[in-house]
Amino acid sequence: MDAIMGMFLAILGAAVATVFAGIGSAKGVGGAAQTSMGVLSEDSSMFGKMLVLTLLPGTQGLYGFIVGFLILINCGVLGGAAPTLGQGFAFLGASLAIGLGGMISGFAQGKAAVSGITMTAKDEKNFSKAMVSITLVEIYALLAFIVSLLVVISVPGLKI
Amino acid sequence: MKAVRIIALKKDRKRVLEHLQDSALVMVRHLEQSDEGFHRADTTAQLKQFERNAELTEQALRILNRHQPEKKGMLASFKGRKEIDPDEIGRIATDSAKIVGICQKLIRLEKQLADYAAEQIRIRTLLAQLEPWKKLDIPLNTRETATTAVLIGTLPRMYDDVSLAEALAEECPALTFEAEILYASSAMTCLVLFAPKKQREDAEKALRSLGFAQPVNPTSRTPSVKMQRQIKKGEDLELKIEQAKQDILSYTDYREAICETQDYFNLRAEKYRVIAELDQTDHVFVLHGYIPEEDCGKLEKLCERTADCVVEFEDADEDAPIKLKNNKFAEPAQSIVSMYSTPSHEDIDPTPLLAFFFYFFFGMMFSDAGYGLLLVIGTAILIKVFKPDKKMRNNLKLFQYCGVSTMLWGLAFGSIFGDAPAMIYKMITGNAITMKELLPWPTLDTQKDALFIMILSIALGLVHILVGMGCKFYVCWKRKEYAKALFDTGLWMLMLIGFAVLAAGMASLPVLIYVGGGIAVASAVGLILTQGRGKKNIFGKLLGGVASLYDITSYISDLLSYSRLLALGLTTGVMAQVFNMLSTLFGTSVFGIILMILVFVAGHAVTIALNALGSYVHTMRLQYVEMFSKFYEGGGKPFEPFSLKSKHFKTKGSNED
Repeated sequence: MDAIMGMFLAILGAAVATVFAGIGSAKGVGGAAQTSMGVLSEDSSMFGKMLVLTLLPGTQGLYGFIVGFLILINCGVLGGAAPTLGQGFAFLGASLAIGLGGMISGFAQGKAAVSGITMTAKDEKNFSKAMVSITLVEIYALLAFIVSLLVVISVPGLKI
Repeated sequence: MKAVRIIALKKDRKRVLEHLQDSALVMVRHLEQSDEGFHRADTTAQLKQFERNAELTEQALRILNRHQPEKKGMLASFKGRKEIDPDEIGRIATDSAKIVGICQKLIRLEKQLADYAAEQIRIRTLLAQLEPWKKLDIPLNTRETATTAVLIGTLPRMYDDVSLAEALAEECPALTFEAEILYASSAMTCLVLFAPKKQREDAEKALRSLGFAQPVNPTSRTPSVKMQRQIKKGEDLELKIEQAKQDILSYTDYREAICETQDYFNLRAEKYRVIAELDQTDHVFVLHGYIPEEDCGKLEKLCERTADCVVEFEDADEDAPIKLKNNKFAEPAQSIVSMYSTPSHEDIDPTPLLAFFFYFFFGMMFSDAGYGLLLVIGTAILIKVFKPDKKMRNNLKLFQYCGVSTMLWGLAFGSIFGDAPAMIYKMITGNAITMKELLPWPTLDTQKDALFIMILSIALGLVHILVGMGCKFYVCWKRKEYAKALFDTGLWMLMLIGFAVLAAGMASLPVLIYVGGGIAVASAVGLILTQGRGKKNIFGKLLGGVASLYDITSYISDLLSYSRLLALGLTTGVMAQVFNMLSTLFGTSVFGIILMILVFVAGHAVTIALNALGSYVHTMRLQYVEMFSKFYEGGGKPFEPFSLKSKHFKTKGSNED
């Protein structure tokens, strides 16, 4: 029973990391894409710049996916040994960092991206400033990702 | 920087100005008032004319682009401007009248197109209005025949023959009529009603109470004839529109000429802007400007060659602009400094320091030998193939140097496209191996040695901050503000060094704990004694001193900020490894290998794009927020010489910036 529970918790952890971080990015990119399409309807020559700004809140989903993937290759689904109950809990706990951190920073970065897009639409020279400001939000997703990551890669060695 | 005065005869004005503009040596100085005895020329009219013409060409280019977008490659933005011979400007000038004519023609054609489009909409609306009346074979404005009243119009509901007869009978039982329903929908019924002439009023009254309305634009022709005419008109319009579009397209060959002419107008406008700044008498003019010291000789020679003129140099004043000048290593980083702010006269030029740390930190964050190599090769190819303008070339150079540093850090972290070599080794031999074992030199593993790299990051941050504070110390010392240098900066530097020694002591030699602790305590006492020195009474002095110790929190948060060096380095490595792992999931069949290559390339492309951007931004942040805040004030005026500010071409051998 413990083995099944451990596996379940690990897979739940992979799901939490991928899905919640994905929600953050989906909402962020979605909002940014709506705004950038508004801009492109006026001036389609800015497509490249708009694409970059729109994609900036997309990294959280990727971080979530990486954590989810690393859990899967460490818990017996895509390789590695089946986790114990304790390891299952550890995987789930680790995934909460990027899950929640990614989701909320995704929302925040999406809002920043929308403002950056409007700013760039007014004057194309603002592009690099907008990009820099939007990327500043990124660090918080990155920190959450690293906490998740450090736990996930060390779980297989833990005797719990 | 030197202030310069060029005095020459008015008859040489054109030649002198053109040579100055071409050489881009001098920045014209704006003086509110002319010297006594001189006057300024009013060039507003000419300036307006050139600006208007430039605007015309801009509109024409926009029209051309709308109808036939210019074919540009993905990498076209790297391309440098076209080089032309300075003598060609004369030719462009002679052709400019013709080009302006073409631009005006283009604008006229575009306006015609807009009118045609409006006309088309009008026709379409009219046709839609007439559609329900198609079956009517008498003109819409028929009112009566010899004996019969004719009422044509709409009712706001749906009726058929029976329900209409019932509704009318209810309103006016005595009415005798004949009605024909031409069109019926839920919103509207179009009908024609015949009644004896003497019952006209009854019929009108009955219909009106049902909501009867006459058609909006009755005409004397039957609806079908009218519709046919409109359709014919529409077809003619199509042809005209097609013709106008063809006409516009026939001018696409002039695109380049229009671009050149636009540049010509802009540089003429620039010249007239300068003429308005000149101090003039009837025979002589004086130009006030600034020039970098090293260019003074060049200017003298240039003026000697051009005309009889006097060039006088003197030391520049407070308002003089700043031109950054650096060696090849640091020059690419100038754009990073300018993005923050141009240094003022009080500042030292931070570019060389910034350049070193920028390359260094970028490499540590991006930290992959494979990616670094790609950066170096990619930028080298772009520079070679596209021959970009100076600004773009410097940006590419910046990434090239960053690429070198990335390669070195990648080798130190044992990361070459993540763990790609180890993966390939495993695929061939079947034995798992880590990069640490595979590489012949000692490496740091970002994942296993994360704590050590974290400490390393913060130690490097300490060095970075100390260098920044050292600059502040130097600047204050040079300004002879010794108290500021020694107490406000020096003591804090000592304090940070004390803590660093203390930390080193805790890790290794216990004796260093006392040394470091001693330094820290001594500097803290020093701070308490000196930081309140602006206050009047003894309590204020002490209180100010103690309160200043609170600044330690800002230094700690600055230092912790450098943990992003680890964070970004770790992310690059892990993302690369995950994509390597993904690409090996498909087995070793032919199909599997193809998928592997695809996933490998796409995955690493994503990793490079995300992490290069992240590394760039966060390196910049470390420079701006952590280092510049320690000493850099900025707020200087950048040196913008009087030059050919052209968008599309540059003249051969010009001193472009």
